[in-house]
Parts: sequence; C-alpha cells; structure tokens
Amino acid sequence: MLLLDAIFIGLLEASPLILAAMGFTLIYYLNGFMNIAFAESITYGAYFAILFNIVLGTHFYIAIIPSMLMSGALSVVVYLAIFRPALNRGVGPTEMIILSVGVSFMLRYGLILLVGPENMFLNEPSIKYLQFFGMGATNLQLIALALVLLAAGTLYWMIYNTGLGEQMRGLANNRDLAMASGINPHRTSVAIWFIAGCAGGLSGVFTGVFAQVAPYMGWNVILITMLVTIVAGVGSVRGAVVAAVAAGILSAFITLVTKPLYAEVVLLTAFIGVLTFRGARTA
Amino acid sequence: MDYLIFSISLMLVYIGLAQLLHIQFGLAGIPNFGVVGFWGLGLYGTGVLYVKLALPLLPSIVMASLLAAVVAYVVAHLVLQRSGQAILAATLALAAIISTLVVSEKDITGGVQGLGTIRFPFSDLDQSNLIFMIMLLVVVCTLLWISGKLRDSRLGRQLVAIRDNEELAASLGKDTAASKRWVFAITCGLMGVLGGMSAPLHQFLVPYQLAPSLTFAVWIALVLGGKGHNLGAIVGVFVTFGLFDILIETYAPVPAEQAILLPNFKLFCYGVLLVMIIMFRPLGILGVDKPRVRAVPKPVPGGHSKPSVEEVEP
Repeated sequence: MLLLDAIFIGLLEASPLILAAMGFTLIYYLNGFMNIAFAESITYGAYFAILFNIVLGTHFYIAIIPSMLMSGALSVVVYLAIFRPALNRGVGPTEMIILSVGVSFMLRYGLILLVGPENMFLNEPSIKYLQFFGMGATNLQLIALALVLLAAGTLYWMIYNTGLGEQMRGLANNRDLAMASGINPHRTSVAIWFIAGCAGGLSGVFTGVFAQVAPYMGWNVILITMLVTIVAGVGSVRGAVVAAVAAGILSAFITLVTKPLYAEVVLLTAFIGVLTFRGARTA
Repeated sequence: MDYLIFSISLMLVYIGLAQLLHIQFGLAGIPNFGVVGFWGLGLYGTGVLYVKLALPLLPSIVMASLLAAVVAYVVAHLVLQRSGQAILAATLALAAIISTLVVSEKDITGGVQGLGTIRFPFSDLDQSNLIFMIMLLVVVCTLLWISGKLRDSRLGRQLVAIRDNEELAASLGKDTAASKRWVFAITCGLMGVLGGMSAPLHQFLVPYQLAPSLTFAVWIALVLGGKGHNLGAIVGVFVTFGLFDILIETYAPVPAEQAILLPNFKLFCYGVLLVMIIMFRPLGILGVDKPRVRAVPKPVPGGHSKPSVEEVEP
C-alpha cells in the first residue's frame, strides 16, 4: 500500500520533471552540452502564464498555450543570439556550461529587475478534491498529469517517428554526414530549441500552479533535471522519461517513510552512485 | 573601518577559493562545481567543533579541513574518472547534499536557527579582526605562491598533460587517476581551511551561507580573470567582488528604494560579463601565462648525473 501511494504521488510530482527532463535532453543531445539556462525556460514559462492568466485575465487552461509558445520563442532567441555564435566559435563543452550559467544569471536577474523578487500566484481554476481507491488528488493534478503525458507522448512520437526527429538524431550523431545528406542544420536546430523551450515552459506553468511562481523556481529543479538527464544517458529521451518517473517515485517513497529533507539527500546520493557505476554510458 | 576589514577579509577568502579552483580546473581540468560544499564542510565543521565540543579554533579548522579532504577523496574515487559533465553534476549534487544535511541535522548544526558564536582568535585584543585579516592574507599569499610554483613543477606539468590528453599522459606511465585524486583532495581540503577561517568572519553560521551562489561567484571570478593564468583569480575577484560588492554597494550613492535591487543588478551584470568574456575573450582578461622557459639541460659527457636545470627569467 505504501508502495502504491508512493507510485501515485511520485507520478503526480514527477509530471513537470518529465517535461523538463525531456526538453533538457533534447538540447543536450543535439548540441552536446548541458544548458543550465534551460532553467529560465521553466521560470519564464510560469511568468508568461502570470502575464496571460493574471494581467490579461484569460482562463488558466487557455493561458497555458501562449505561455508555452512564448517560452519556446525565448529559447530560440537565446539560441540564435548567444549559443549558436558560441558553438560556431568552437567553445568547449565545459565552457558552454559556464556560458549557460552566465545566460541563466542574465535572464533570471533581468526578470527580477523587471517584475520584482516577490512570489506570485496563478489564478487556479475551480479545484475539486477527488478520491478513488483510497487515494486522493485534485482535479488540477490529474489534468496536469494527463496533459503532461499527452505532451510527453507527442514529443516521444516526434523524436522517434517523424522526419524532424530523424534529422535531429542524424545531426547529433554525425553532423557532417547529416549535412552531406541534405539536412539543414540551422532549421532543425531552431525547431529543436523551440520544442525544448516549449517543454520547459509547460513544465514551469505546472510547477507554478501547484505552488507559486518565483524567480528561482527553474533554478531549483535544474539540478535534479541535470542529474536525471545524465543518468538517463546522453540524449536518450526514453531514458529521461524513465529516470524522471523513477526519481519522482523514489523521492515520494522516501518522503513517506522519513523526513522530506532526506528524500533529497538520498536521491542525490543515488544519482552520484549511478554516475559512478554506470561507467561508459555516461560518456 | 570594521566593515572594510570584513569586506577585505571576505575578498581574500574569495581569492583563495578562486586560486584553488584555478589549480583544479585551469591546471588539472577538473570542473568542480561543489566549491561551496567543501568550503561549507570547513565552515560548519569548524563551527560545530568550536561551539559544541568547545575545541580551540585552530584544531577545529584543521579537523574540519581534514574532513573536507576526506570527503573530496571519496568523491574523487567515485566520479573523477567520468566525463567532465558528470563530475560537474556530481560535485553540484554533493554541495546540495551538504547544505540539506546542515538543515536537517539540527541537533548538531543548529539547523535554520543557526550556530554561534565563533570568536576571532586573540579576541581580547582590540584589533582582533585586523589581526585575523592579516592571518588570512598570509594564508592566501602562501596559496598564491604555492600555486605559482606548482605550475612549473613536475606535478604541475603532469596535471596539464592530464588535462590536455589523459590517455596520452597515462601511456607515458603516469598514474593519472591517482594524481588527480590527490590534487583534488588536497585542494578541496584547502577550500575547507578557507571555510574554517570564514567561520570567525561570519561569527554566526546559517544554512543560507551554503547556497550555490558562492560556487558561481568564484567560477565567474576565475573565468573572468583567466582560468589558466596564475593571477587570474586575483584580477577576477577584484573585477567582480571588489568592484561590485565593496565599491558600488558600499560607496555608490544609490537611493534607498533602489538599493534593494542592487544585489540583483550585480548578479545580472555578472551574467552579462560572463557571456561577453566567453564569447569574445574565452581565456579571460589575462589569458594564459607561459610557463617559465627553462634552459635545455646540457648533456653531461659520460654520465647519467642529474641534468642541472636553471631557471631563466623570461
């Protein structure tokens, strides 16, 4: 019963993480570096939702779509303005990570300078508490889970079954060969950064609606996203989904058994352990 | 005046940390993103030993630093032979673990309520903070001197060889994994020393001090100054911490309502600076200093006697 609870709570909690891990993985796979600035895709997604939901007064479920698209657009702008020139200059992977930390600082503190450091709250739609099989959840949580599963499924289908996904995998594996066979690297990259930004934004909207919208919200999940991605293996979207779900369930299980704070410690230790014993596949 | 002494002492700690990071990343190529973790082990280790066990300050610092070095050695064993990105994530995770444990183990660390008070050594003297600043200065200068020597030493060359091509270095018969482990453990232990020396500076320890922003501040300073230059750490810390934290935050005439936003503005500027540096001057302000040129040892006729190595000033 405890295990069942853990799986249920874990799934609910892991739903934003799954999206974030998928988006993060896409960029990692395509460009070969960990984009810490992805945290800001999450944060900005939530703040765009504030813009549409609170400032402009649209319904929450309608506000999701433009927030997601704007977050994707922001991701493309950042790619074109900063990361693409840097990649063309041949900046190494570790330096790219440091660069992305710089971008992340720029976006995050720019945002704080614009809207202030206070927490904000999304106007949640009518929340009902549902109960079945002895387990409770709000309708919002269930809708979020369904939407996340839908988005994750679409993303998955796109990567493994469409031309764009094939082009992306081609570019990531052998850029020269892919270009020789007529794949336009520029267009594919822009598309992937857009999709990754959308996934991050959607993840941010749901993280924001479950709790509050704060400038540090993306930053707080980026470490776990990063670890999930590395453990999943470079650019394996399948692996990212599995690892994110596992992380959610493990963390829910430990929280049920002990104090919530220990969940984080055990989770992080487990990640270091996996990194140690996975060996070659962590590349 | 007291505030200036505090700021300068803090700046010395930053310089020391950035210099150690220069050894780890600039020379050996280990991307340590857990700086605050090792520093924090020193800080809280010293605090706990000093406050809870009532040990004198110096033994507390030594023991806490040893703890940091041991933890670093274990972590090095676990992840140092993985890719750079894995090391980066693992050290970042370690720092998060340490700061979470400090919050959760409140019986030992005081949790969010904090731990204090840690006094300066010679606290019965008037100028104990000034004396302590001078002690820090001595420690940091020693660090700078050692790291300057290290670069031109046998070990330093080995580290650079490992950074550039580990397989090649290993094929020359160097035990690269062991060298990296030891260098990592010792430099992290020294980060612990700086953490221990920060304990009397802060006097009162709260988990907030273990936020990852310290790691990033040190990284930004090092990358800005020049990660491969022995003086890069100093220049970087002066440009970031010295310019923003000391000069602007203390002396710039900013109206009170905007003063709250100043730290955010500072971090925004750090971000912009970091992006500009990596885009336009990836080796940092100072670039990379050349190792000192050494004369080619003359072959000694008829013997295997040690070649005499003379240093030539560039």
